[in-house]
Amino acid sequence: MPAPSPIYLDHAATTPVRSEVLEAMMPFFGPRFGNPSSMHRWGREARTALDEARERVAHCLGAGVDEICFTSGGTEADNLAVLGAWHARRNAGRNAVVSTPIEHKAVLESVHQVKREGGDERLCKMTRDGVVDVASFAALLGSDTAIASVMWVNNEIGTIQPIADLAQLAHQAGALFHTDAVQAFGKIEIDARKIPFDILTVSGHKIGAPKGIGAVYIRRGAVVEPLFHGGAQDRGRRPGTENVASVIGFARAAELAVAERAEEWSRLERMRNALETAIVARVPDAIIHGRNAPQRAPHIVNVSVPGTDSESMLMALDLRGIGCSAGSACQSGSITPSHVLSAIGVAPDVAGSAIRMSIGCLTTDECIARVADVFPSLVEKARGVASAARAS
Amino acid sequence: MRVTKERVLVAMSGGVDSSVAAAMLVEQGYDVVGATMKLFCHDDDLPDRPCCSLDSVNDARRVCQQLGVPHYVLNLESAFGRDVVEDFVNEYANGRTPIPCVRCNTFTKFRDLLVKADAIDATWIATGHYARTVDGVMYRGVDHSKDQSYFLWGIHRAVLSRMLLPVGSQSKAETRRVAHQLGLEVIAEKVESQDICFVPDGDHTKIIRQRLGADAPSLSPGPFELSDGRVIGAHDGFARFTIGQRRGLPGGFREPMFVVAIRPGDRAVVIGPREELLGRGVVAREINWLVDTPPVGTHVDIQVRHRARPARAEIVRLDGSEIELALDEPVSAITPGQSLVLYDGDRVLGGGFIERAAGQRAPLPVRAA
Repeated sequence: MPAPSPIYLDHAATTPVRSEVLEAMMPFFGPRFGNPSSMHRWGREARTALDEARERVAHCLGAGVDEICFTSGGTEADNLAVLGAWHARRNAGRNAVVSTPIEHKAVLESVHQVKREGGDERLCKMTRDGVVDVASFAALLGSDTAIASVMWVNNEIGTIQPIADLAQLAHQAGALFHTDAVQAFGKIEIDARKIPFDILTVSGHKIGAPKGIGAVYIRRGAVVEPLFHGGAQDRGRRPGTENVASVIGFARAAELAVAERAEEWSRLERMRNALETAIVARVPDAIIHGRNAPQRAPHIVNVSVPGTDSESMLMALDLRGIGCSAGSACQSGSITPSHVLSAIGVAPDVAGSAIRMSIGCLTTDECIARVADVFPSLVEKARGVASAARAS
Repeated sequence: MRVTKERVLVAMSGGVDSSVAAAMLVEQGYDVVGATMKLFCHDDDLPDRPCCSLDSVNDARRVCQQLGVPHYVLNLESAFGRDVVEDFVNEYANGRTPIPCVRCNTFTKFRDLLVKADAIDATWIATGHYARTVDGVMYRGVDHSKDQSYFLWGIHRAVLSRMLLPVGSQSKAETRRVAHQLGLEVIAEKVESQDICFVPDGDHTKIIRQRLGADAPSLSPGPFELSDGRVIGAHDGFARFTIGQRRGLPGGFREPMFVVAIRPGDRAVVIGPREELLGRGVVAREINWLVDTPPVGTHVDIQVRHRARPARAEIVRLDGSEIELALDEPVSAITPGQSLVLYDGDRVLGGGFIERAAGQRAPLPVRAA
């Protein structure tokens, strides 16, 4: 009997490039190779394509073309937002940055960098459900706050933060508001005309574009200092020859994601619910993190089974052809305990057994059924062992 | 058609021995899963350690890729910190000379890693050690110059029947030859690591300082004494010394002088001539048997140091987890904290951590209260 095809449950980590996206990009690796800054026909051709792509991305976010800046990805975009805004405002009496302890490392480390450079770092409290404690967030804001940064959808547990409310609170204190929308893009409606964020970051490879391309929305009037120094590309906010092919691919992926958003949400939500229901039915003491949050994105299931450990479960799943993840991987590839789970008050031993399954374009009902089938037997194995080890 | 044998979890350091072990098991038809244990973090201050560094993880991963088997990096940092590093620091603080590789094998590799092996349904666990296990009995590696059984006595006896040590049946030269044969050029000629993996630059005082502070008693000044109690100088921390050491001692004596005892209570390092190093017996604790416990009166071969020539001895006392042996001939530099391993020829009987030499001519070191 041939081995069943592998099941990819790590869409929050990355997704395959969509065929439409690849197709759109191909000419820019070949005949349309020009540098957008060149004045000749090759340059003009690239410039036209780039401008058009920027318009399409802007359209997807309810933004103006002058408000979109392309970056090498989410991490650079987050750095540009947090450090760029703080650098621009710290000398005007705004030396503090407010954020949450569940941010992606790209934001969290940027906030730590602010502190290392002499700024004031303030992280708000979280509820046990994985949502910002709004009162604690509000209390940290003041006339000294340069920028507040809160992710829209958490990448480990999928909880949705009340971005509109938090942005308003930040504005009341005269602070800029940034949101890392890497996991929200393509899942939640993002419209700069409806939600008052000032800066927003998105990434290409989470929505079927290649790795190495991202974008930052910077509302007209919001000033950020560039991270890099060089040419005048992207209005000087991001010097360096534009990654034309990837920008084209990103624009195509963004359009597709926005067009399919509502339908994909229901499809993912149905499968997510089926998976959670099956897991809890067969492993009754399984804990699904963030499940009680008022709002959750539909593509992330983060589950702990007491008495198991993340590493063993991930290995066992992988050896059965099922790819999941846990916590954040360090440079060596080993897993470190999740800062997100500890920030929302999950006990260390429970956090140490958490695994994240994230569904997406490659997931089908059949995948869910197979995972639901295999998961309990792996739990039993990992658990049998753990209890035997305790007994000895 | 080739029948796949049971699954084996291979602990891979990225070095030649464990890489070849994995390759040999693949050749033998096992369902091999490679794992590199992340045991500690050097932060940024040690870019190129021979073992446990990022490059080593990458080497192990590349070897697995070449062998067509999965590879994982397992984070055992906190357990290793507790069971191995903490003990290492405490032993030095108690004036002893620890042997962390033994505790790593006992607790980290052949206990904690075994739990992971169970979770992935691996029947076997394998390493690149130069030792052999046959039918639940452990023997020295065939290549006696490379034998590592001295570090493996602490393993739970029941685990022996699940261990595969493929390179233990060959010489190091053969291992390198196999590496070339199998095309593992990445690691075939890697330099062997001699240091303790978590000790930066071979300077163990650095980690003591990190853990216990720069003002730890074991790193603070104390007297050099002769065994008659005469103070003849001062040293800058007894953790810098081990029994039998010559380097760093005061000069001006007619014969070569050695560290013969360390007294953490008054931070004294006692020095004396070669004959004061001789012990006629040895007491060890935390004894672990890999065979049925032999009775008092049994004659065995013992080794009190890695690569030392075995000495004949008789078991004269067995007391719970403590053992005392009388040596046929005196042995030099029996060092508290090191391993005592008992052999019957090539067969490993068991071992323990040396508590003290017995029957030394010099007065016994007084242990701290």
